[in-house]
Amino acid sequence: MKKFFNLFFVVLIVFSLTLASCTGNGSTKKDGTGPGEPAVEELGVKGKKIKAGFIYVGPVNDFGWTHAHDQGRKFVDEAFDWLETTYVEQVSEADCPREIDRLVNEEKCDVIFTTSFGFMESTFEAAEKYPNVIFEHCSGYKTRDNMGAYFTDVYQIFYLNGLIAGALSESGKAGYIGAQPIPEIKRHISAFTIGFTEVNPEATTTVKWLMNWYDPAKSREASESLVAEGCDVLIFSEDSPTVVEVAEEHTNKGNQTYTFSHYSSMKHYGPGSCASGHLFDWGKMYQDILTDVYTDEWVSENMLWLVDRGTAILGAEYGQPINEIFVEELKNKKMPNSDESVYDFVMKRYEQFKEPNIAFDPFTGPLYDTDGELRIEDGVRESYSNLSVIDWFVKGVNAPKID
Amino acid sequence: MTWFVLIFGRFLVAGTPLLLGTIGEIYAEKAGNLNLGVEGMMAVGAISGFAFAHNTGNPWIGFILAGCMGGLLSLVHAFVTISLRANQVVSGLALTMFGVGLSGFIGNEYVGISLVPRFKNVAIPFLSEIPFVGEVLFTRSPVFYIAILLAVVFWYIMFRTKWGIIIRACGENPKTAESAGINVYRVQYTCVLIGGVCAGLAGAYISLYYIPTWIDGMIAGRGWIVIALVILSQWNSLKALFSCYLFGSIYVLQYALQGSFLNPTLLLMMPYLTAVTVLIVDSKKTLKYKTGSPTHLGEPYIK
Repeated sequence: MKKFFNLFFVVLIVFSLTLASCTGNGSTKKDGTGPGEPAVEELGVKGKKIKAGFIYVGPVNDFGWTHAHDQGRKFVDEAFDWLETTYVEQVSEADCPREIDRLVNEEKCDVIFTTSFGFMESTFEAAEKYPNVIFEHCSGYKTRDNMGAYFTDVYQIFYLNGLIAGALSESGKAGYIGAQPIPEIKRHISAFTIGFTEVNPEATTTVKWLMNWYDPAKSREASESLVAEGCDVLIFSEDSPTVVEVAEEHTNKGNQTYTFSHYSSMKHYGPGSCASGHLFDWGKMYQDILTDVYTDEWVSENMLWLVDRGTAILGAEYGQPINEIFVEELKNKKMPNSDESVYDFVMKRYEQFKEPNIAFDPFTGPLYDTDGELRIEDGVRESYSNLSVIDWFVKGVNAPKID
Repeated sequence: MTWFVLIFGRFLVAGTPLLLGTIGEIYAEKAGNLNLGVEGMMAVGAISGFAFAHNTGNPWIGFILAGCMGGLLSLVHAFVTISLRANQVVSGLALTMFGVGLSGFIGNEYVGISLVPRFKNVAIPFLSEIPFVGEVLFTRSPVFYIAILLAVVFWYIMFRTKWGIIIRACGENPKTAESAGINVYRVQYTCVLIGGVCAGLAGAYISLYYIPTWIDGMIAGRGWIVIALVILSQWNSLKALFSCYLFGSIYVLQYALQGSFLNPTLLLMMPYLTAVTVLIVDSKKTLKYKTGSPTHLGEPYIK
């Protein structure tokens, strides 16, 4: 027996040594200061090096929210020589503080981006704990001296998607698969419905809640039940292309269903059903933030970018605002009480959003809520601070009551 | 009408993985071995099915190999609990944790890929042309037909053949079975293996047809629902047909009923709430009558 234990310990020690040497190798490679490579500092590159860490809530391959952020990370990683990036994917809210600690202490990051609303509190606390690290939190509202907030809102694009859906839909019924009942999603649902009912005043949007950001199984059941209820437009805020796949399956069965790319290009999942979509270009935003950090001009602020800054994009895929197979139909369809085609109208609005002083906003009165109460007075444009805490739906939305 | 066709169709889609898992677990339990590792075996089945199908381009290869992987994993449990006579509950729980963790580890590189070689719906000629019934019952994935067939065959073997008597004898009184010349260990090993293969197939159905992607934790408690369903089905695979599709309907109705008077948050709890309710109601019955629960279930057999 003793012999066995001795042998066991020897094996254990050898094993742990091998493991230690393996991890040692890994980290030197990552830092890029292995024996074969020249040390960048010595060559006299003028500035410093910056390391940015990204914490993602979903997998980088989700083809939705996290994928869009990771594309932005790759963009800045390639654009700047002085920048090194690292990321952690699929981090749950409870694990966020631990991952921040690791990125600060082990990976030695100078800037940390946390890209989910649920990471806000832990980022806020970490910013106090590590005053020398810059934190940037996406989609929240809390800031500190060393913690900024940044966000791109696509609600204007959702409005354009609504216009397109209104023109294409035959049933006048759209289904919205909502991830979480938070103001951002409620704002998007309302913005979509404003556009949807502008083309077809009888149209309605039915909402199903998932209570989850990433869950293809729930997403599939919710979208199937919306199709069963007669919706021929599916729009969603869950981070996988599942809904597009469901719409494509129904389209292939002869039941034309329209859908919209969500945050990343999903057209290849539904070439016959993905009419347009709302896409991000986070790269521009990360470029802006990291350049400020590099030139020591960074100050904590609450950044909100819209279509005019080029980070919110209309399109089923990048570079194509509307899927070419639906363009003809949209050109033939006229806006109600007008000679203008829906296609021209969408493009006109899109251009207006791009103007520096933003010539139009979807949330312009008169707007009524689902109970018929006047929420935004005639001719008044709602402020973004009010929209950011919106807790009501415009007329035409049919959403289950949560509370 | 279309609403009913589509929603009923979804019941069958959502209930099939539960059915596959349940009929397998019934065999393991009937032979006297409680395997709580279904969740883990389903998870390994799901990832191996996905990985093999993705790499070979054929869903059938993925499906069959997923069954093998599930079976392989169950043999670990069988060895520990039958040969080494360890506590079955502890071993099963360990198997679940191991399986779920292993699947996440292997699956890391497959996250987010949308599977191309997936199972498609197959319309059975003539039968699928019957209005309503044809579209609901006879235009489904091939695995659906396999699952139904297996449930019937498994029932027949268990209750109408000599093999069934042998299996049940091992679960009721292994000592008597042994003295009648039955190799109890061999029977138990075989039945645990059947349970593992079925759990693996159930997992593969989820990743090859139900949600053709891989996500960590995609089994989402279905393995535990299966354990409850075995009890609800009273260890009878024909009754399992009913109970599994009843549970399948709950998965679907939690979304179909959103917008009615019921609160969505409450609806999302339905599968688990129903499982707990069923167990409470059923436990009262088990105290009084014989419900099919094997007498020797959960206890190691010592010669």
